[in-house]
Amino acid sequence: MTARGLTREGLAGLAAELIGAGIRVVAPARAADGGVDYLEVTRFEECALGAEMPRRSLRSAFQPATEPLFAWNRTGGRLFLTPAEANGPQVVLGARPCDAAGAAILDKVMGWDYRDEFWFARREATTVLTVECAEPGPTCFCEAVGLAPDSDAGSDVLLRDAPGGYRAEAITPKGEAFMEAHARWFGEAPSAASEPARTRQAPLPLDAMRGWLAEHFEDDLWRDVALRCLGCGACTSICPTCHCFDIVDEPEGASAGTRRRNWDTCQAGIFTAHTSGHNPRADQTARCRQRVMHKFLVYPQRFGAVLCTGCGRCARACPAGVLLPEILETIAGRCRQAAPSGDLA
Amino acid sequence: MKELRDLARTLLTDGSVQVVIGWEDGPAGARPAFVTKAEDADRLIFDPRCVHNLAAYLSPRRPHVGRLGKAAVVVKGCDARAVAALLRESQIQREDVVIIGVRCGGVLADPSRRVDLTAENVSERCSGCEAREPGLADHLVGEMPPPPPGERSRETRIEELEAMSAAERSAFWQAEFSRCVRCNACRQVCPLCTCDRCVADKTQPQWIEQSAHERGIFAWQLTRALHHAGRCADCGECARVCPAGIPLGLLNRQAARIVERRFGYRATDDPSIPAPIGAFRSDDGQEFIR
Amino acid sequence: MNIYQPHLMTIADVIDETPDTRTLRLSFQDPETAEAFRFQAGQFAEYSAFGAGECTFCIASPPTRPDYVECTFKAAGKVTRALRDMNPGDTVGLRGPYGNHFPLETMEGSSLVFVAGGIGLAPVRCVIWNVLDQRDRYKDVTIVYGARSVSDLVYKRELEDWAGRADVKLWQTVDPGGETPEWRGEVGFVPTVVEKAAPSSENAYAILCGPPIMIKLTMPALQKLGFPDSRIYTTLENRMKCGIGKCGRCNIGPVYVCKDGPVFTAEEISKLPPEF
Repeated sequence: MTARGLTREGLAGLAAELIGAGIRVVAPARAADGGVDYLEVTRFEECALGAEMPRRSLRSAFQPATEPLFAWNRTGGRLFLTPAEANGPQVVLGARPCDAAGAAILDKVMGWDYRDEFWFARREATTVLTVECAEPGPTCFCEAVGLAPDSDAGSDVLLRDAPGGYRAEAITPKGEAFMEAHARWFGEAPSAASEPARTRQAPLPLDAMRGWLAEHFEDDLWRDVALRCLGCGACTSICPTCHCFDIVDEPEGASAGTRRRNWDTCQAGIFTAHTSGHNPRADQTARCRQRVMHKFLVYPQRFGAVLCTGCGRCARACPAGVLLPEILETIAGRCRQAAPSGDLA
Repeated sequence: MKELRDLARTLLTDGSVQVVIGWEDGPAGARPAFVTKAEDADRLIFDPRCVHNLAAYLSPRRPHVGRLGKAAVVVKGCDARAVAALLRESQIQREDVVIIGVRCGGVLADPSRRVDLTAENVSERCSGCEAREPGLADHLVGEMPPPPPGERSRETRIEELEAMSAAERSAFWQAEFSRCVRCNACRQVCPLCTCDRCVADKTQPQWIEQSAHERGIFAWQLTRALHHAGRCADCGECARVCPAGIPLGLLNRQAARIVERRFGYRATDDPSIPAPIGAFRSDDGQEFIR
Repeated sequence: MNIYQPHLMTIADVIDETPDTRTLRLSFQDPETAEAFRFQAGQFAEYSAFGAGECTFCIASPPTRPDYVECTFKAAGKVTRALRDMNPGDTVGLRGPYGNHFPLETMEGSSLVFVAGGIGLAPVRCVIWNVLDQRDRYKDVTIVYGARSVSDLVYKRELEDWAGRADVKLWQTVDPGGETPEWRGEVGFVPTVVEKAAPSSENAYAILCGPPIMIKLTMPALQKLGFPDSRIYTTLENRMKCGIGKCGRCNIGPVYVCKDGPVFTAEEISKLPPEF
């Protein structure tokens, strides 16, 4: 693994070089209302690297809120399909470790059996430069789910805090190649990066919790959690690992149109409603349970990883104080109660 | 606070209600609470962190709350307007809910931090509040606190928007709406979005495209604003929940100003005053409807 | 390969099954795709009406007749209404085949009991024809099919065909009040007729599909006849969009209906949470 140094001036130069070369650069930046989002930037000065956590995760860099899958048109009595265009190269400058990790977790479902080319085309065309997290927020719990403020999962290059700039560590061959290709901005690696930040949470007993969830589809916990839930789905629209989507047709005139993929949410009743009116998840209790079950039982069972990076956004975004860390802690508590002496972690 | 808790305890003990919907101190600030046992009444709080409009839980769209039984709901003056609108539109019946009004001196935009109210951190909706004491209440608790700090910042912003040319205003909303991903959180949290099937979810015909592109976003956001003109309780929950920080409150407020100018109606917590949309008058100002 | 891009198919034939149910016979526009397309009984596909969207149905024709693909649907939602309004020669899309299938290979040498209600005959019909096209591989074949009324029976010509075959025992029934003066079949609900037909459970499998209430009441009837849950097969129909395990819609507990199903045994279903 290559480690080099990158000063703040070097980072600015690197960003300018990328933008100048026509590469799409996505970075935390202030939106019109002053909030921070991952946005395409046209100047390095727009980047808000030391700012608060972006409101939404990095999901949109790999799966936009809406994207065309293909277009159709009818000419001369025949129907033709035109696939959506491939994506050009993209560099994420200043991903959060929890967001980079989210993309890596989603590779599993996106590559499962049927390979989602839209997802992987963007993943492959994207180089992720992650900046280690200096200041975890009040609802952050990455260490509870096995990550850390300096996790390198899903990153191509990890930028660790160092005097005057960063210590840049290549994590993947793609990151290695990136640092090579832009070598003039990288200098000698600082001898030691400073001590990474910590959230100081005990790891959740995820295996035991999976067992609990498998046994407690019916439990008063779900009713209690769901009472205050308004079903707004804000938690799912900001999440780095939520990936549910809808597919819709949008005609443009009588003979042409586009089929698109749009983000969707398991918190909406219509998500599972049949045309007949029957709905397998008929109320918010079932939908709140589904969110936790999918993240901490179904996905780990199927793909060997929890569908959560502990970014804490859902707890911040919830208008009604439904807090995933609290729900997880409750479940962990019940597991500990059930096995007081055992090693649950 | 003691007055509120004692009242809740009494209502639960004498069986007047099966649940008191109020606020509690959660691990990350104030949040809605559902107190079903008299001994839990001490969980209830009211302070400037209690920004949430609990009227949303009375909506018939939330049968999981309705299943708890008859509810008492704690409301601020602004929230009472939402309860009044639910009554006005026959979504709930007056005898099915006990309304506990709290006197309010303004709430924080962010319920997670216990700080003093300032002009900077006060909720936008408190700007120019004229409803610090709910009129629609079976019980009224608390002393009247001093009025919320801050000048009329929202009105100033609306006046700025009104002064813009149509093209400038369009550009403003284009920039704000560009962050919308059509997550529908604004709709879901709205106490007055009571439709069984929202027009945005209807597909036969497809009135509103579901995608988060400019066409779909504008179609949705403008429809939403129009469907709330003359109905909106101005509780600001849509703007508070928006994960993209879109100032939906400005849009609602501007629509309300237009309704007031044209129809002389202002959102009120008196359910007996009919709203301009949803009421027929033989002396209506609009000729086509007479 | 764009996994969301369907194959283009031409509507070769339109058959009106009931006033609101239609069968479309589809043929691939691309000869290479037609050649390569293989599926097994019980699998499903995503059918496109371009402009309206996609809809999930089983493939209703048998794999033993590879020249075409048929789907049968009730016009209820946006896509099914658009499909209903199409004509022979029109183009539709098809993605698939997806999901698992009925284990016909392990059922060889056994008797088969098919139980279907209403449009639930569509997935079962695929298996029936598959079996009848390879009739010597199976023992007794019993079919119990019911609908609300005579006009709600689908595949009427095929029902006549099966009724006339010596190697098939067909029981047709309609709900009380749904019969016509000419009706010669049973009058009564499917579970009752299953009990009356009383097919032997010895070395036999049951395959059933229909409305939830029919499934719920037929299961005990079959169990009473001695069918173990591991030999009762059915299909689940949770709402789907992608059909390939990505869109997150069809989960029932740990199961992705689109990938692990749609075919399940009663034994498997009894272990699932009640979210279907």
